[in-house]
Amino acid sequence: MKPKLIIGIVSIIVFTSLLMYNFGNSISTYVNFEEAEGRSSSHVVGVWDSSQDYGFSRDTMQFVFYMEDRSGNVRKVIYPRPKPNNFEQATQLVVIGEMKNDVFYANEMLMKCPSKYNDEPQFEQVNATES
Amino acid sequence: MIAEAGRWFLSIAFISSVFTMVLYAYASIKHDKKAEQISNWLWGLKGILVTAASAALIYLIMTHQFQYFYVWNYTSLDLEPQYLFSAFYGGQEGSFLLWVFFAFLVGLGLIKWTRKPYRGPVMFVMAMTQFFLLSMILGWDFGVAKIGASPFRTIAQEMPNAPFLQANPGFVPQDGTGLNDLLKSPWMMIHPPIIFLGFSMMTVPFAFAVASLWTKTYHEWIRPALPWTLAANLCLLTAIFLGGYWAYETLSFGGYWAWDPVENASLVPWLIGTAGIHAMIIQRKSKRAHKASIFFALLAYVSVIYQTFLTRSGVLADQSVHSFVDLGLYNQLLAFILIVTFMGIGFYLYRYKELPSPEKESKFLSREFMTFTGAMLLFILGIVIILGTSSPILGKLFVDNPTPPDIQFYNDWSMPIAIIMAITTVIGQYLFWEKHTWESLAGELITPLLVTSTISVISIVLGNVTSLYYMIYIFAGWFTVIGNGTVLIRLLRKNPKLVGGTLTHIGFGLLLLGIISSSVYTTPMLDKRTEDYNLRVEQGDVIDEEGFPITQKVEMFELTINQPKLISDKYMVTYEGYELSDSPRPGQQNYRLKFEPIEGGNPFYLSPEVYPMLTSSGPNSVEWSVDPHVRTGWFNDIYLYVAGSQYVEKRNEAVEQNSQNQPMIPVGDAQSEDQQAEEDVQTIELSQGETTTAGPFQFTFQNFVPASEESLPENTQIGIRSLIRIEHEPSGRAFEAEPLFAVYTEDDRSYTYSPPIDIQEWGMSVLFTSVHPETDSIELSVYGLDENFEEDWVLVVAEQKPFVSIVWMGTFMLMAGFSVSIFRHWAREKNTV
Repeated sequence: MKPKLIIGIVSIIVFTSLLMYNFGNSISTYVNFEEAEGRSSSHVVGVWDSSQDYGFSRDTMQFVFYMEDRSGNVRKVIYPRPKPNNFEQATQLVVIGEMKNDVFYANEMLMKCPSKYNDEPQFEQVNATES
Repeated sequence: MIAEAGRWFLSIAFISSVFTMVLYAYASIKHDKKAEQISNWLWGLKGILVTAASAALIYLIMTHQFQYFYVWNYTSLDLEPQYLFSAFYGGQEGSFLLWVFFAFLVGLGLIKWTRKPYRGPVMFVMAMTQFFLLSMILGWDFGVAKIGASPFRTIAQEMPNAPFLQANPGFVPQDGTGLNDLLKSPWMMIHPPIIFLGFSMMTVPFAFAVASLWTKTYHEWIRPALPWTLAANLCLLTAIFLGGYWAYETLSFGGYWAWDPVENASLVPWLIGTAGIHAMIIQRKSKRAHKASIFFALLAYVSVIYQTFLTRSGVLADQSVHSFVDLGLYNQLLAFILIVTFMGIGFYLYRYKELPSPEKESKFLSREFMTFTGAMLLFILGIVIILGTSSPILGKLFVDNPTPPDIQFYNDWSMPIAIIMAITTVIGQYLFWEKHTWESLAGELITPLLVTSTISVISIVLGNVTSLYYMIYIFAGWFTVIGNGTVLIRLLRKNPKLVGGTLTHIGFGLLLLGIISSSVYTTPMLDKRTEDYNLRVEQGDVIDEEGFPITQKVEMFELTINQPKLISDKYMVTYEGYELSDSPRPGQQNYRLKFEPIEGGNPFYLSPEVYPMLTSSGPNSVEWSVDPHVRTGWFNDIYLYVAGSQYVEKRNEAVEQNSQNQPMIPVGDAQSEDQQAEEDVQTIELSQGETTTAGPFQFTFQNFVPASEESLPENTQIGIRSLIRIEHEPSGRAFEAEPLFAVYTEDDRSYTYSPPIDIQEWGMSVLFTSVHPETDSIELSVYGLDENFEEDWVLVVAEQKPFVSIVWMGTFMLMAGFSVSIFRHWAREKNTV
């Protein structure tokens, strides 16, 4: 085989494995609140627990609510932004952030809404971090 | 009737696309001129049918025929005509129809301008893609299987089990559910047509590549295909730009790019198309890279279909802000992507051995090598983005239930690739016009390198850049601009028609610079206190109730009406109030924020908006949407929106109370409420000319006014009116009242008489309750003023984004470059016909 071909094949293999390795690291799996404890960043799917107090406090500049994950765990969620649009309508929430001492600190929140127009913004995405 | 016709038009168009496809194939194999002509006519017929179907759908929308699902689902009576029209392609079915229509127009162009031997095979491929696209909107129901979702289906067909329809089969809704407020934007009207025009034109390089494999003429296809590919890229680029600008200006996404899967869906075909253009240019100039240009031309369209599959099949529903809903087209879309891929790539592999190879390898320092490197880098970047976007499918290799990749994944890969690309463009451009050795190239590059270094150092110092990685990136960006700029100046002297490539490369360099400054150096605008708080958060000094350090920073600030606050040590910002208006959206608030630069300069106003999303709000809630205001500048953009306000909070409370009060209120409670209201009184003492603030109001006692006889009770001893000016501070609205105060006797007892003046607008009433002659002052009682009155406030999220202007400038340069190249290649192509 020509040396050029070998170099080519080797670099393709190196590139692909590096890319896949990095890709594998950058995605994670959706977890519940219990599994989220101790992870640095988790995605939790659930629904808003409307039976408990919720709201935005102008003192702490945080929006606090309770969420029930798919396994039935209910936890307090703190989101450092005002209450997002469509919050009450959301049939499903995805919070992205860190679980610490039974409190979930969400940096990002995705809301699945039963929107009547089932086109464009099916999801209202709100970023707490700079994007 | 019209809908029935529309359905037939689409069905016949679909059948005719089958015939067209077969006939074009026959004509190409047998070299039958007659068959080809018939197919051309069939193509035209199909175009007429598609146009008629589109017209039918537009007619149904314009005449508000809400018994049709599409009309009901996307429009409403109050929608302005221009958005009624854009609702035609606002939904999934309509956008397929628009795509088919544009592909038909592109086909007409191909019939007119494509020479032998390509016309038949090219049109065969075009007809095949029409076959697939039309199948998506057929709406044929075979009981066991459905083909496509018709834009003409009725609500009854869409929801056969809905109870209200079973009770009343002829039910026609009074009004539709309306277009999403976010889509009521001029950008929305032009963005989709351009993108579908781009997708349609991207079919052309694919069709030519297949035609070249078919006819075994591997070289000549480049010439007609190149202008089309350039035009497709220009369209996609324009669409990406419009989408980004729309997201930045009217959606509160916070930026122009977020690596959203739907955004990626138009970026990847553009990248691969651009890779194809590079390969095609080498092939045209040097008779090399046949394999690459055919491969990329095939792949560009495959990526269009693949991204269509991702965004329309429902696969991405959990990951994107705006992917389409699942219409049950998964299998059809899968078939489309598989057949297109296997046909293209299969044919390519079948002919691979026959494809011409260059006799000898090109040298490292040659335009062929550098351009090819550029193409490969674009391709690799495309692969990386496809991989990231495919996480719901490919992520399953790693984890169950995969999440989308972190944004960091895209940044980590795109940045180094961009740096290498940047340097390649300069060397490539130098080599493109002249042959060079290492020595001569180094000699040429000395001046640009010196200039680049100087400017880079200045920008690094001024921008306070500390990361070495960013320094390299900034250097690469400037090198691209300056190196290519030098080539541009030379070319302008020689032959300005040749500048297309250089212009695009300068645009690319500007983009790199603009992207890093506007994204990495975006800073939140905050007041001093919040900044200090964030600093303490960073140091871990802020502890929450449970004793854990708080890690989340606050990235907004609060303003109280008419109380200026120093923001970012740069602007005195004052919230001056809001106006309610019903245009263009009912219930919209326009907030007024005054910015005064403290270092001098003209003050300016920003007016972000907040509006209720009426179409989707229920009776128990209001959903609020924000419309940011962006102040664009050459050096700095201020991006700002109102994240909360007293008005919004009050409205929410009112709605909540309403929903709680809907059941009957016990009598006792109502009474206590009354009592509360009675207690809710404020007494204001004012001497003449004095002004006092109570709640949001300013009361000024201007003068005494004599009271007329007829308004006074009998036996009045004293009767006097006071002229009061009441000003509502937040709105600045004021009016004058003349409440009456009288003392009269009845049965030898004195009574005071002070009838209330009701001010309905603000839900309060004012009484003139006493006169103090000794101080020449009066006493007013005001009911209905909330004692715990909170002054009007707003929460503001604001960011400074440096040099967004350069991003747009880079985009415009890219567009200009592509346009110049299109004209150049098209003119030459036409001359040789």
